[in-house]
Amino acid sequence: MATVTLKQAEKTYPNGYKAIHGIDLAIQDGEFTVLVGPSGCGKSTLLRMIAGLESISDGEISIDDKVVNKVAPADRDIAMVFQNYALYPHMNNYDNMAYGLRNRGYSKADIDSKVREAARILQLEDHLERKPRQLSGGQRQRVAMGRAIVRQPKVFLFDEPLSNLDAKLRVDMRLEIKNLQQRLGVTSVYVTHDQVEAMTLADRLIVMNGGVAEQIGTPIDIYEKPATKFVAGFIGSPAMNFLAGKISGDCKHVTIGEGVRLDLDHDVSADQTVTVGIRPEHLSIAADGQGQINAAVRMVESLGAETLVYLDFGTDANNVTLRLQGTQQFVKGEKLSLTIPADKIHLFDVETGKRI
Amino acid sequence: MKRVQFEHSAVPYLFVAPQILIISIFFLWPAAQAVYQSFLLEDAFGMSSQFVWFRNFEDVLSSSSWTRSAVFTVVFSVLVAVISITLSLFLAVRADEVIRGAKSYRTMLMWGYAIAPPVAGLLGNMMFNPLMGDLYKAFNSFGFEFNHIQNANDATFVVILIAVWKQVSVNFIFFLSGLQGIPKSVQEAATLDCKSAERRFWTITFPLLAPTTFFLLVINLTYAFFETFGIIDVSTKGSPGGATATLVYKVYVDGFIGADLGGSSAQSVLLMIMVSVLTVFQFRFIERKVHY
Repeated sequence: MATVTLKQAEKTYPNGYKAIHGIDLAIQDGEFTVLVGPSGCGKSTLLRMIAGLESISDGEISIDDKVVNKVAPADRDIAMVFQNYALYPHMNNYDNMAYGLRNRGYSKADIDSKVREAARILQLEDHLERKPRQLSGGQRQRVAMGRAIVRQPKVFLFDEPLSNLDAKLRVDMRLEIKNLQQRLGVTSVYVTHDQVEAMTLADRLIVMNGGVAEQIGTPIDIYEKPATKFVAGFIGSPAMNFLAGKISGDCKHVTIGEGVRLDLDHDVSADQTVTVGIRPEHLSIAADGQGQINAAVRMVESLGAETLVYLDFGTDANNVTLRLQGTQQFVKGEKLSLTIPADKIHLFDVETGKRI
Repeated sequence: MKRVQFEHSAVPYLFVAPQILIISIFFLWPAAQAVYQSFLLEDAFGMSSQFVWFRNFEDVLSSSSWTRSAVFTVVFSVLVAVISITLSLFLAVRADEVIRGAKSYRTMLMWGYAIAPPVAGLLGNMMFNPLMGDLYKAFNSFGFEFNHIQNANDATFVVILIAVWKQVSVNFIFFLSGLQGIPKSVQEAATLDCKSAERRFWTITFPLLAPTTFFLLVINLTYAFFETFGIIDVSTKGSPGGATATLVYKVYVDGFIGADLGGSSAQSVLLMIMVSVLTVFQFRFIERKVHY
C-alpha cells in the first residue's frame, strides 16, 4: 500500500518537445486514479514516468515519500499492465506470472502458491500450462493482470488495458478490474481515452490536455462542475452543447443568438462575451411550445433506452444535441421548442476557456 | 475454398518450366553425372573408362588426406558458424541500443555483406602477406611466431578470420531485424520484472531470437561448407599441405587439378550424403527446441 506524489513533474524530449508541463498530484493510499484525455495529451507519458520507463526531466516523483526519479523500474515496486498485454510469448502462462517473482528470489513453493492464488482469482487455473498465443484476448489480459497481482506491488499502473478488447468483454473486464482493485486495495493509476471507463473506474479523475492537468477531482465533480471548456466538452457523451452568449448590462441575463434570454444566478461581469454550455440531457422540450430556443430536427438516433436528437437553430446554424429518455419519434425538419434551465448552464470565458 | 482451375492444363507447367529446366540442367543432371562417374575409373584424358563399383569410395575413405580434410571441414565450419553468430549477436545487441548516429553505425556494420568471398580472400591475403601484410607484421611484432604459410594452425586461423569477417555482416542484419521485431512493450515489461540487464537478455531477448539463431546456424554452416571456396582458393589454396582444404575445395583440387574424376566424384557424393544428414539433423533436433 502506498501513496504516489508528483511535484512539478515535467517531461521534455531530446528534440525539445515538452510532453508534460509541470504536474502536481498526490495519490492517496489505495486510491484508484484515472488519467483521461485525447491522444497525445501526455497521459501515457506521465504513467510511464511513474513506471520509470521514461526519464523525468524536471520535478519529482515519489512513491511512499521516497523520491524515485533515479530508481530503476524493477526497484520501484510497481506493476504495469500494457495495452497489448506484453506477455512473454516463449513462456507459458505460469512462467509469465512467475518470472518477476523468480527474479526477486522468492522460493519455489512461495512462487507456486502466489501464482496459483492469482490464477484462481482470475479463473486461469486451466490455462497455466498454455502459451499466451493459445489464449483469447480477454484471457491474455487476465494473464497480464495476474503477472501484476502476484507481485503484490505498491502501485498498479494500467496503460489502456482494455483498448484491444471487444465492447462486451471491455465492460466485463472493467467491472472485474474495479472489483479486484477494491478487493486488493492497491493504489492504482489507470490511463484511458475512454471516458466511460474513466467515469466508472475512478475514485479520482485527472483530465489531461496538451501535457497539462486541466482538472483533478471526483468523476461527478468533474461532470457537474467542469473547470474548463475543454473538460466540459471531453467528459460526457454526447458532448456538451456550446453556444456563443453575451452577458447583459445588469448581469442578470445572458443572451444567446438572437434574443434568447436566460436568467442568471452566476457572479459575472457585465457585457462580457461568454461560451454557454448545456448538457444534452438538461435540455427539454417545452410542452406548451414556449421554450427559449426554437430549433429544427436535423437527425435522430434511437438507442432504445434513450433518443438523441440533433437540431439546428438560429441563422448561423448553431447545433444542439438533445438527449431524451425512451424512444420518441421525430420528423426531419420538425420544429421543437426547447427549455434551458438556467441553473444547469455552465459559463466559460471565451478567451481562456475557464469556468466563470 | 474453391481451387482456381486453369482451362488449359499446360499453362501451369509452362510457368514452372524455366525453374524445372534450371534445376535439371544445373543440379539434377550434374548430380546424376557425379554419382555415375563415382563408379568409374578414368584416365586423365578421358580416353577410356572402367566401371569399378565402389573402389573409388574405398580409396577416398581410406585415404588419410580425405579424413584430414573432413576433420578440418567440421572444425572450420563449427568455428566459423559459432564465432560469427556470437560476434554478430553481440554487435547487433549493442547497435540496437545506440540512439545517436544509429543509422550510420548500422550501415558500416552491414557493408561487408556487399563483398564477394574471393574479394574477401584477396583482402585477407594482402593483410597476411609476409612481405607487406599489416596483420602479419603486427602478429609477429607482438612476439607470436606467426607463419601461416608453414604452420597449419596459423593458416587455419587466417581462413577462419576471413570467413567470419565476411559472414558477420549477414548475421548482423538478421539479428538486428530480429531484435527490432521484439515488441517494445515486452522488453519494457521485462525491465519491470527483472533488474539485471544480463539476465533479461538470457531469459527474454535470447529465447525470442532463437528462431533467428537457428536459421542463421543453418545458413552459416552451409556457407562454411560451400561458399568459403572462394576465400580458400584466393588466400591459402589449401596450404600448407592441404591443412586448410575443405571437402569442397578438395573435390575441386583432386578433380580439376589432379584430374582424378572418379575419386573426386566419389568425394562429392559423400559430401552430398553428409549435407543431407546434417540438414535432417538440424531440422529434427534443433528446430524442435526453438519455436515458441
